[in-house]
Amino acid sequence: MPRERAVNEPDPPADELPGRDREKGTGMTVNEQTPLEREFDPKPGGHRAPGRRSLAATLGLDRFSGLYVLAALILIFALWVPSLFLTATNFRIIAGSQAITAMLALGLIVPVACGAFDLSIGGTLGMGCCIVVWFQANGHGFILGIFAAVAFGLLVGLVNAFIVVKLSVDSFIATLGMGSILSAGTVWVTGGFQVANGISPHFTAIGQKQVLGLPLPVYYMVILAIILWWLLEYTPAGRYLYSVGGNPQAARLAGIRVGRITTGAFVVSGVVAAFAGVMLAAELGSSSPDVGVPYLLPAFSAVFLGATQIIPGRVNVLGTLIAIFLLATGVKGLQLAGAPGYINPLFNGLALIIAVALAVRATRRKA
Amino acid sequence: MTAALTVTNMSKSFAGPRVLDSVSLSLEPGEIRALVGENGSGKSTLIKILAGFHLPDEGSAEVEGEPLLLGRGEASEALGLRFVHQDLGLVNNLDAVDNIALGVGYPSFRGRIRWRQERKRTRAALRDLGYEFDVRRPAGSLAMSERTALAVARALAPRQNTAKVLILDEPTANLPAAEAERLFQLARRVADSGMAVMFVSHHFDEVFGLAHSVTVLRDGKHVITRPVAGLNEDQLIELVIGRQLEQVTHDAKAAERRDVVLQVSGLGCDVLNNVDMVVHAGEIIGIAGITGSGRDEVATALFGGIDRAGEVTINGAAVPKLRPDRAMAMGMGLVPAERHANAAFMTSTLRENITVVGTSLHWRNGILSKGRERSDVAVWLERLDVRPRNSEFTMSDLSGGNQQKVVLARWLRMGPKVLVLNEPTQGVDVGAKSDIHKLIDEAAADGTAVLVISTDHEELVRLCHRVLVLRRGKIADEISGGRMDHDLITAATIGRDRSDAA
Repeated sequence: MPRERAVNEPDPPADELPGRDREKGTGMTVNEQTPLEREFDPKPGGHRAPGRRSLAATLGLDRFSGLYVLAALILIFALWVPSLFLTATNFRIIAGSQAITAMLALGLIVPVACGAFDLSIGGTLGMGCCIVVWFQANGHGFILGIFAAVAFGLLVGLVNAFIVVKLSVDSFIATLGMGSILSAGTVWVTGGFQVANGISPHFTAIGQKQVLGLPLPVYYMVILAIILWWLLEYTPAGRYLYSVGGNPQAARLAGIRVGRITTGAFVVSGVVAAFAGVMLAAELGSSSPDVGVPYLLPAFSAVFLGATQIIPGRVNVLGTLIAIFLLATGVKGLQLAGAPGYINPLFNGLALIIAVALAVRATRRKA
Repeated sequence: MTAALTVTNMSKSFAGPRVLDSVSLSLEPGEIRALVGENGSGKSTLIKILAGFHLPDEGSAEVEGEPLLLGRGEASEALGLRFVHQDLGLVNNLDAVDNIALGVGYPSFRGRIRWRQERKRTRAALRDLGYEFDVRRPAGSLAMSERTALAVARALAPRQNTAKVLILDEPTANLPAAEAERLFQLARRVADSGMAVMFVSHHFDEVFGLAHSVTVLRDGKHVITRPVAGLNEDQLIELVIGRQLEQVTHDAKAAERRDVVLQVSGLGCDVLNNVDMVVHAGEIIGIAGITGSGRDEVATALFGGIDRAGEVTINGAAVPKLRPDRAMAMGMGLVPAERHANAAFMTSTLRENITVVGTSLHWRNGILSKGRERSDVAVWLERLDVRPRNSEFTMSDLSGGNQQKVVLARWLRMGPKVLVLNEPTQGVDVGAKSDIHKLIDEAAADGTAVLVISTDHEELVRLCHRVLVLRRGKIADEISGGRMDHDLITAATIGRDRSDAA
């Protein structure tokens, strides 16, 4: 009985890194079609048959193109400005400088996976930074400050979710407004000036101490990436997030509580953004109004560019990390090669547009 | 007198068989003509040709003796043809004034729209039709009957040329009986003014109550055009389905009476009215009805996808409304109609599409095991013969029939107590269809109470122990035993009562 055979088949090896199946064995199933069935197949040649896998697919260009681009960038700058680019210090600087952007982007993946934008993360990051500094400046200690900042992020997530889920306001508009309110909040908390008094050296150590040559935030980022990767790939909640993002109506009719999933997603992005703000305060040893705003666009660029990597057409953790370091390497290399200061936003903006264009192409090819 | 509209030898095919085969007909001014036929008999195609939406393969048409340039919407308009299409064609976020202007443009005064005057004219036009509502409300917020009136008002709104023929495609599909009557009065008034009226309807009471004459289409061919007088409902049904109704065919599957699983009392929503039903374990109940009868809404109302009134219980426990998650936890499954919109995750894998329900079955020690999911899903892909049989393919790689099987697998895997299927074999080929029917039988044999909602009446005969027929939101008939026959079901959906069939 064919059914038995399928049951008794040994479990395929536990999934290798986050990707989906490597298309093994698809040739067999495709060839099971009779010629007649093939003739009536509505999409002849629509199935990707590994027997005829293209060179690009074999090299993983469809899923790992970012890694190739990253390698190419490193090679180019290594030849262009070897004395500056190809140094351990430089790579350490790139890793360290990107830890906060990466954390922010990682948190952003969650709402984007369920089809919602969170444009308030820049403001939340700024508020997290200002709150933790305010607590120290007013003599309340940094531990309480960290808790207050993270609790504030949670609150922002809940309010965003309330506006989007209960008031049915489009997430783009709701969080755009929230972002503006939060940047007003940063001015209010700081009084409009840079605040740097009363900062505990224990607090700045959280953001500045180096272990094995890398600042601590890099390790926090790695831990966060592992947690989110597990959440998105290996928990029912992650599956529900992608289902809601894919087709909210179908998700609802499959018994998924769409409102709850969306709420959870905003809470994650809010909490992560506030925590990233705390890290920023520890790194800078100060806070100032609107400190979070410049982080918003790079985080979005990375998430969308990341959606073209590893699991094409789907925002994911590893793709986002690759994108972050690709963007950072590009910017850093160009700066070292003498590019003017405006190269950073220029490069990020171009990358965002190109990334989304690529992502649209990827999904169109699938649909 | 010249005919208001003449259609000669009109034919059309869409990649394959002819959906319209050399149809000719003519309408006199002041005449009300009903155009009837089963789904797919070519009614809508004919209307869309006249509206300039489709270009026919052959044939011609004339309006009051003037040849109509086919395939051009403006040409139909210019010769005086006016249409109210099935979906009404209103823009939901525009108000009544703007919606009418979409048809006729804004008469401007020195380049300026005079809104007050426009509103006044719109109100007057609607009042002529017997409607009064705020013309500044967006069309989407109006009641169905008000929207229908608005669409009619737009069709009749004065333009450069005079209207000669009003064509309505299933104008009453979404209207409750009382409001349908208002529309009839309107149609009579239009005809009295000298225009010809042609309307498509599945309600035979409307044909007899409103039309002077009737044209029957079957399989794209013209069957007959004759006056309504002297015709009775049985004869008309015979003309529509092409053969006499056999009084007794074969017995429906005999139900083995087991415990009541699903009990529904007083089910209501915007189109459903006080529907009761009881489904036993192992029983397959069919629901038939034309579009707008409430057929479609039964499924989502039971499952909690739309708001509802009334009690729904599974094994005596009440299922809360608007909580698909609770309905699911209590053992109900729903395969909704319109797979793309309501069921499929097109960019996800088959595995994810199936395990989206009961995801936590493979969630152990904090890890969702994809390996276990794969072998679980493989069993179901095998059992439903899904091709290609690979759980990691993306849903969009599959043909429609295979996608439908995947959605079915999603629920069959859960072994539900109650399984509600809305058009379970929509877009599925013959072989797959019989596979799906077997699976539904098997599920019932295992004790699932099954509700099958379908416009495919042969499917209902094949599957069901009993068929409930909905008409205008109410159960109008119950067909079982010796009366189980698809023509009888069809007849019941369009208004022949049980007393006639006995």
